[in-house]
Amino acid sequence: MTPPATRKPLIEFRNVNHAFGTRPIVHNIDLTVGESEFVCLIGPSGCGKTTLLRMVGGLLTPSSGQVLFNGRPVDGPEKEISFMFQDYSKALLPWRTAAGNVSLALEATNVPAAQRGPRIKELLAKVGLANHADHYPAQLSGGMQQRVQIARCLAQEPSVLLMDEPFGALDAMTRQALQDEILRLIAVSKTTVLFVTHDLEEAIYLGDRVVALYPNPGRVAQVFDVKLPFPRDQLSTREHPEFLRLRRELFDFIREGEA
Amino acid sequence: MTPRAKVLWMIGSVCVTALIVVAWQMIANYSGIPAVFLPGPDRAWRALVTGFTTGDLTQLSMATVERMIYGWVLASLAGIVLGAIIGSSKIAREYVAPMLEMVRPVPVSAFMPVVIAIVGLSGGMVLIVIALGAIWPVLLATVHGVSSVEPRLMEVSRSLRLGRLQTLWKIALPNSQPDILAGMRIGLTVSLILAVIGEMLTSEAGLGYHVLVAARAFRSADLFAGVILLGLIGLVSNVALQEIERYMLRWKQR
Amino acid sequence: MKTLKALLLPAILLLAWEIAMHVKNVQSDSLAAPSQIAIAFKDAMLDGTILSRTAETLRAALLGLALGGGSALILSIILGLVPPVARLLQFTIEVLRPVPSVALIPVAILTLGFGYGMEISLVAFSTFWPILIYGHAAITNIDEQMLDLAKVLRLKTFARITKIILPATLPRYFVAFRLATAVSLIIAVTVEIAANPLGIGYELMQASQSLHPDLTFALVLWIGLVGWTLNTLLLFAQRRLFGPAGVAFGIQQ
Repeated sequence: MTPPATRKPLIEFRNVNHAFGTRPIVHNIDLTVGESEFVCLIGPSGCGKTTLLRMVGGLLTPSSGQVLFNGRPVDGPEKEISFMFQDYSKALLPWRTAAGNVSLALEATNVPAAQRGPRIKELLAKVGLANHADHYPAQLSGGMQQRVQIARCLAQEPSVLLMDEPFGALDAMTRQALQDEILRLIAVSKTTVLFVTHDLEEAIYLGDRVVALYPNPGRVAQVFDVKLPFPRDQLSTREHPEFLRLRRELFDFIREGEA
Repeated sequence: MTPRAKVLWMIGSVCVTALIVVAWQMIANYSGIPAVFLPGPDRAWRALVTGFTTGDLTQLSMATVERMIYGWVLASLAGIVLGAIIGSSKIAREYVAPMLEMVRPVPVSAFMPVVIAIVGLSGGMVLIVIALGAIWPVLLATVHGVSSVEPRLMEVSRSLRLGRLQTLWKIALPNSQPDILAGMRIGLTVSLILAVIGEMLTSEAGLGYHVLVAARAFRSADLFAGVILLGLIGLVSNVALQEIERYMLRWKQR
Repeated sequence: MKTLKALLLPAILLLAWEIAMHVKNVQSDSLAAPSQIAIAFKDAMLDGTILSRTAETLRAALLGLALGGGSALILSIILGLVPPVARLLQFTIEVLRPVPSVALIPVAILTLGFGYGMEISLVAFSTFWPILIYGHAAITNIDEQMLDLAKVLRLKTFARITKIILPATLPRYFVAFRLATAVSLIIAVTVEIAANPLGIGYELMQASQSLHPDLTFALVLWIGLVGWTLNTLLLFAQRRLFGPAGVAFGIQQ
């Protein structure tokens, strides 16, 4: 379960177990994510995909086993690892404008005030919110709020982006727009992404690899390599024979798991 | 309701108030209640005009307002600082908060005799009592606000590796803003009440003492003028704070 | 364990206070050691002063609450059921409500003289507003569907009030009355301290002016205890009657 030999390993799960009380959540996870790789974790609820993400984010320490980042064990949130939450309405500071929310990440790394303004402007422009800098989250649509969160994550200049079902609560059109947005941004910055979703097509569309998990307790079931050409396109990629084949395979796999 | 209808209703409701004032005048004129007990609005108005042209009432009002605001600012600052400390520390919440809950139900005016005995009859005593009384709503609101931050925001803070102080300053305190402002509004009302009572007890110059003396001397027009002024101070300070609140909490509006 | 933690700090403070008073050998007209306060409290309790004075205060507070709260209850129902009346009275209410109740003490002395009458009226004035405001809010917040139900059932006004509106708003009215009870005690004691020769507040003022710090402190603590007991009893009743939902609403206030 290693990435192609051409990639340097960046994140490694080594025999990771986690239990909540006596209830095991994830069991014997071994997984390596390479540099600049886009890995999607999918599986039914109870498969521990969010748990794994939180471990990399330093928000959770595994009961046993190790999570390595750049060869060192993760023992707390890392500066280079950025976490993007699903519930945008709760993950933004409601009393700060879009610009203010992006600024928070810069303040956290002690960027001098004078340099923040231009950086924020540039970041908001990158996610298409140049004209909404002064809006409060309550005045923005769900998709826009999630764009603010993307900008906040990018402000950290992370080498790893952890995304926990970031588009799960958005409508289909917005979701597709944001998928392309992320791919475009990642293509430039070469950021490594670990992406949790329960949407098969989203996983295939975005990922270099898709890791499917079994539930109760969460285990790695199978890893699918996605050999689809970049840049991906909402129409042609989704009609690509390889896409359809993978979708079929994953669909069967999930249905088996449910039966 | 259309804006037009709203304005019409507002005018109507002002008219009702005006009618009540007219009724008050009629009762004062024709009911046979001596003017010593019930002066009409005309007499109260004249007392107000005289008071302001001689400058007496201006000075007394300023004295009371100053007292109220000093005590309130003192209480609010202390309440926010203490509340932030208690609210952000689990240990402080467990050890200190219960004691605060025990002290809170004591009517603050009951502390007055104690404070008078220690500090003496002075303006300082009034200030202390105002601060003691107005601190509770702010303190408790801050403790509540700081200790009830959305858990997801605490994760955002951890994920961004914000320090303890940064988390308090950038996340927990702004999160308590609505609670703190509501607490401060109650605190301001308490401040005015205690300023008036304090002046009555200590004979410090101000509207509180003024109305008490007017009543003792059966100068009922002055008494009513003073009460009207105190009501006005209450009204204006409340409305001003409401507007500030609305501005500060504009992020809540869609 | 939780109560132990809660009691630790007050215990330490009391002990430090007691020790400080003895070590420094304070002979003061304004301070007293906790042990002296306890003795003064015991004496005043045994000769019946505290209880009879407290009864006076509570009588004034509760009668005032009944008068003020009762009329506010009726008015709030009228305002809730007949919106035009609410709109017409809005300005008058907004203008009268901020008048600090204590500013009316001299007015009450002038017109009613000292005694129960003035104290009861002042308590009534102060408790009137919170119940009017909370009550009106409670009625305007009733679920539309419930009012529609009343229409569908063709309930007469009186039946509508007793069968739908009061039960639906009871928890909120209870909270309003609980808060107003605290207000009534505060105002009664305040009026007694400021002017009225009656009740526990007057007793407290007397103790302070005759330079009995032990009794003064004892009475302050006692008044706090009475307030705390009233509130705790009402909170308990609220929890029993309306469950956690009612309490949650109370905390928000």
